[in-house]
Amino acid sequence: MTRVLSPVAGRVVGLAGVPDPVFAQAMVGPGTAVDPRRAPGRAIAPVSGRIVKLHPHAYVVVDAEGHGVLVHLGIDTVKLKGAGFELLAAEGDEVAAGDPVVGWNPAEIESGGRSPICAVVALDAGDGALTDVLESGEVGAGDELFTWD
Amino acid sequence: MSERSVRIESKVGLHARPAALFVQTAAKAPGDVTVAKRGGRPVNAKSILAVLAMDARHGEEVTITADGKDAEQLLDSLEELLSTPEPEGA
Repeated sequence: MTRVLSPVAGRVVGLAGVPDPVFAQAMVGPGTAVDPRRAPGRAIAPVSGRIVKLHPHAYVVVDAEGHGVLVHLGIDTVKLKGAGFELLAAEGDEVAAGDPVVGWNPAEIESGGRSPICAVVALDAGDGALTDVLESGEVGAGDELFTWD
Repeated sequence: MSERSVRIESKVGLHARPAALFVQTAAKAPGDVTVAKRGGRPVNAKSILAVLAMDARHGEEVTITADGKDAEQLLDSLEELLSTPEPEGA
């Protein structure tokens, strides 16, 4: 069982609250989303494991059970080509849940005309694999968002 | 087994949106479907984790393979997804 933690502090909006149908319709996978606090922050690893993919605006951490969690910082932020994001870890690194991975400022993303909403997605998770999925409420970075059996 | 090479036209590469569409299409096939970067190890095209980790970029060529009787039709669909740039502003 994998406990998946919030990479950022903010207000949980659920995947349905992501202004991108690919995430909102759970096409990438099930999970939830957090509207981050508009302040400079550090997005953390949602699980302990290896960073198998690290982009400035998105990363995937795979834990010892093989569960891969995607953290996607903002919508259409791939088009920023890294501007406004600072890598605090490297691809291939072993990280503990809670370790900082990317520094960013959600307020800057928003002032650039993009949503800073952060999707947290369980990759290749089957139907019903996630339990206790938060869909609302305030969270701090490191608070549990869902469990993955 | 059917096989073909396709150049990735999505500006963002095989990232979240194109990757999700690609995997969803591959997952509908009954047989095995793989995708590989040139010189790379083929990965399961039905796994979003495997496809995102492969990290195929814009302009890169990938080789997709499929098994079964409708393999050519599936490869047609996958090729169309990979070789179509996303609309501006999408």
